Amino acid sequence: MNYFLLSLLLLTGTVQATQALIEFKSPEQQALFKQLTHELRCPKCQNQNIADSNAVVAVDMRNKTLELVQQGQTKQQVLDYMKSRYGDFVHYQPPLNKFTLVLWLLPALMVVGLVVLLLLRRRAERSSLAAESGAPVHGQLEQQMDQLIEQYRRKS
Amino acid sequence: MRKLAFFIPFALFIGLSVFLFSGLFSNPMERESSVLNQPLPAFALPDLQQQEKIWTPDSVKGKPFLLNVWGTWCVTCNAELAYLTELREQGVMIVGLYYQQPVDAAFGEVFDLTALQQEVALKLEQQGNPYQWNILDKDRTLIFDLGVTGAPETFLIDAQGVIRLHHIGDINPQVWQQKLAAAYQSLQE
Amino acid sequence: MIAEYGQLALTFALCISLALAIVPMYGSFKGHQTALQLGNPLSYALFLLTAFSFWALSYAFWVNDFTVVYVATNSNSLLPWYYRLTAVWGGHEGSMLLWLLTLSGWIAAVALFSRSLPLQFQGRILGVMGLVAVGFYAFVLFMSNPFERSLPYFPVDGRDLNPLLQDFGMIIHPPMLYMGYVGFSVSFAFAIAALMGGKFDSTWARWARPWTLAAWMFLTLGIMLGSWWAYAELGWGGWWFWDPVENASFMPWLVGTALIHSLAVTEKRGTFKSWTVLLAIAAFSLSLLGAFLVRSGVLVSVHSFAADPSRGLYLLAFLLVVIGGSLLLYALRMNSVRSQARYELFSREVLLWGNNIFLLTATLVVLLGTLFPLVHKELGLGSISIGEPFFNQLFYYLVIPFALLLGLGPWVRWKQQQVQPLLKPMSLIAIATLILALGTLAALQSIQANLALLGLLLGAWVGSSAIFELLQRLQQFGSVKQGLTKLNASHFGMTLAHIGFAVLVIGVAMTKTYSVETQVRMKAGEQVELAGYQFRLVEVYPLNGPNYKGEAAELDVSYKGDYVTHLHAEKRFYTVQRSVMTEAAVHARLSRDLYVALGESLNDDSWALSLYVKPFVRWIWLGGLLMALGGLIALCDKRYRRRTAEPKASTEPKETADA
Repeated sequence: MNYFLLSLLLLTGTVQATQALIEFKSPEQQALFKQLTHELRCPKCQNQNIADSNAVVAVDMRNKTLELVQQGQTKQQVLDYMKSRYGDFVHYQPPLNKFTLVLWLLPALMVVGLVVLLLLRRRAERSSLAAESGAPVHGQLEQQMDQLIEQYRRKS
Repeated sequence: MRKLAFFIPFALFIGLSVFLFSGLFSNPMERESSVLNQPLPAFALPDLQQQEKIWTPDSVKGKPFLLNVWGTWCVTCNAELAYLTELREQGVMIVGLYYQQPVDAAFGEVFDLTALQQEVALKLEQQGNPYQWNILDKDRTLIFDLGVTGAPETFLIDAQGVIRLHHIGDINPQVWQQKLAAAYQSLQE
Repeated sequence: MIAEYGQLALTFALCISLALAIVPMYGSFKGHQTALQLGNPLSYALFLLTAFSFWALSYAFWVNDFTVVYVATNSNSLLPWYYRLTAVWGGHEGSMLLWLLTLSGWIAAVALFSRSLPLQFQGRILGVMGLVAVGFYAFVLFMSNPFERSLPYFPVDGRDLNPLLQDFGMIIHPPMLYMGYVGFSVSFAFAIAALMGGKFDSTWARWARPWTLAAWMFLTLGIMLGSWWAYAELGWGGWWFWDPVENASFMPWLVGTALIHSLAVTEKRGTFKSWTVLLAIAAFSLSLLGAFLVRSGVLVSVHSFAADPSRGLYLLAFLLVVIGGSLLLYALRMNSVRSQARYELFSREVLLWGNNIFLLTATLVVLLGTLFPLVHKELGLGSISIGEPFFNQLFYYLVIPFALLLGLGPWVRWKQQQVQPLLKPMSLIAIATLILALGTLAALQSIQANLALLGLLLGAWVGSSAIFELLQRLQQFGSVKQGLTKLNASHFGMTLAHIGFAVLVIGVAMTKTYSVETQVRMKAGEQVELAGYQFRLVEVYPLNGPNYKGEAAELDVSYKGDYVTHLHAEKRFYTVQRSVMTEAAVHARLSRDLYVALGESLNDDSWALSLYVKPFVRWIWLGGLLMALGGLIALCDKRYRRRTAEPKASTEPKETADA
């Protein structure tokens, strides 16, 4: 079992050079190619990346990506190359600009907002409870009750 | 204040519905072209019927013209040939960029230039020939650089060789009137 | 004639749904007993008529009646009988009929199982569901009729079912999914009925909870089945693509999960009321939104049905009425309801709120990712795409605090929790977590700060916390053995579902980090090694199936020389639809999957093959299964079967540290 798990570390495994369908100069290039073909979108398909599509344009993009990666270009260079021809549409990661900032900002605001909502609610509920039942006496009784409950819990 | 807060979900939903409504009438696959207002990408491709003649951006510019991406395999392209021929007779300059489909080496298919030339000649004879000449893009290099995803697609190029419009789909009288005619005319001046 | 009877039954069903929408509701407002009592028979009649209609369509498929347009478009005489029957829901019209069947089924179930509900309340619930039903039955009858004939002309044979759908997954995935989607209409109806009546005590929450759990359970199963099916069927070893249709099913699931947890607070402590009601409305609204997105053509997806703007318009109008109407009712009625409860900042209430925070933010992320490209384009800003990189990034940030809270949650008492008593168990759990996570990686002889480590830490944290907490709880009954018989089903369900989540997280993290693949060319007799496994191509031969041709490859797999298994991979060419399908060969084990997909034949007698070794990928679906099982067990809790007709007669919690 150990040896099996150990061998999982090998990113590419041992494949005789003549058998690999595509030759890469390094595992980094292979990983980059895989990453790019999964992040680039086929501009003509019904929502597929270029790795999975067999449309002519997807195959052409795949071959071009391979060519550029083998030339040693970086991920950003390949993405820019594709985007300058097919637009932002072909990258599954949206561009970061003042309009798309909302994609990251809104979720962050939501987390903060919901925390604030809880605190506000809690305050409102406590004050309405206090207002209804005469604050100090109720508060004291509540406290005593809570203490008693804790006592019994600790015993069990 | 608390009362109003309860209306927020309703308001948000209505806002969303506006976009959903407008989305119903637009085509989600429609993309704007990324090559607008840029000069034609560099290329050196042979004429389809006369392989010795090589076309480059410099050799094609001079007058505004339509660059029409097409192929005999494409049904819609064949349908638009008749109207494009009419436009040619009206004086519109149209150059064809032939989209050659990849050949499947696994099936033993080979690229046969002579057969292609004959096929094209026959098709243009049957449907009408709108093209001043045809550029053969065997490996789809110019097609890739133009951001073309299929056929038919047409580009309006001005006299300086700058791409002005990119139309995806066939050209028929409505498309010509609404989208291309005005632009073409203004480039003539 | 059968098809005509089917359509007739559907027409009657529409009338019944109209009656169901009006009569019991009227009775609830006027105190008219007979009108209220008509709810049950109307519900059963609706279900029976719809079931007959569904049978009629299935019959048309069974006998290959190609005069029915829908049958001709989705079936073929060469299609095996089991796929002919599942082709009933292979296209838009038939899947809508399945939706109707599911809806009428839930309505009948509500009629059958609500003897403990006050009649007035039940009447309103059935009325709301009837109203929803009217919208859908009208949609099917007038805009998506599966029984349309093409007479006097009809094709000799059908266009065949899309080969991608000719798989076992197609048989169960859509029905499970629809049971989930439509099931949320029950909690929705509970919420609306309560808004109408203005009463939101904890009994309401106790009644709503089992229905919500049931719908959630089906949706969990449906989504898991979809993922497993895509993995087995699509041939590239992927199990989630963040496609709009997948997202459309994920959003109601996320909100549904938040809803069951929020219902727990409302049931136990009578607070979070307005929040729970909003979530109940939101869960079903997202189901409806999903139906709209998939069938209107607004978004691009491999899954979407053929788009039709007129259908889209109808569905949008329906959405406006149902969702807009319910949110309006919410805004008008809810602010008069006040929750009253005291709880400290360190209490179960707050931790469950934390659960909601992250689940709902996750829902927002999915909603944004799915709909923002549309908004961006409609605003004239251009076309962008949002896919895997975006979702993975944000979910990575969200799952960490969520899982941390999940490990803590079950230990924290209602109302207030002192920190001191928790220190010992939490430390023990932390130690167990480190041992399990680091230990697993040590066995890999690679302790790196990678995604796998994070996944193992979070999964071990949640899993060991769940188990320890259960053990501690059982011991409170005297002994673990005694506890097993005495502890309520809810608690077991909760523990199992949380363990399921832990298993899922581990599966995702491990498979993402350690999956390896290679694309090779092989001749018969050649061998390739990957991750210690030797894949030997034995032979490739032609295939002849009932409605397809193709090639099959046989491979022998060994591990370090020891024979492991024989694999059979196919590449099929479906003659009628003229499409190519890869039937991947999968050897499944809990520790790893071996996955082989046959590619094209290359011109020197060799074949292109894709080989994958995917560790822990089964844990993903196992986790989902455990979560669904946990939901099922929680459903069986005795307290839901308690018969109380009066809202006053109940419901002080018997145990304080309950789920």
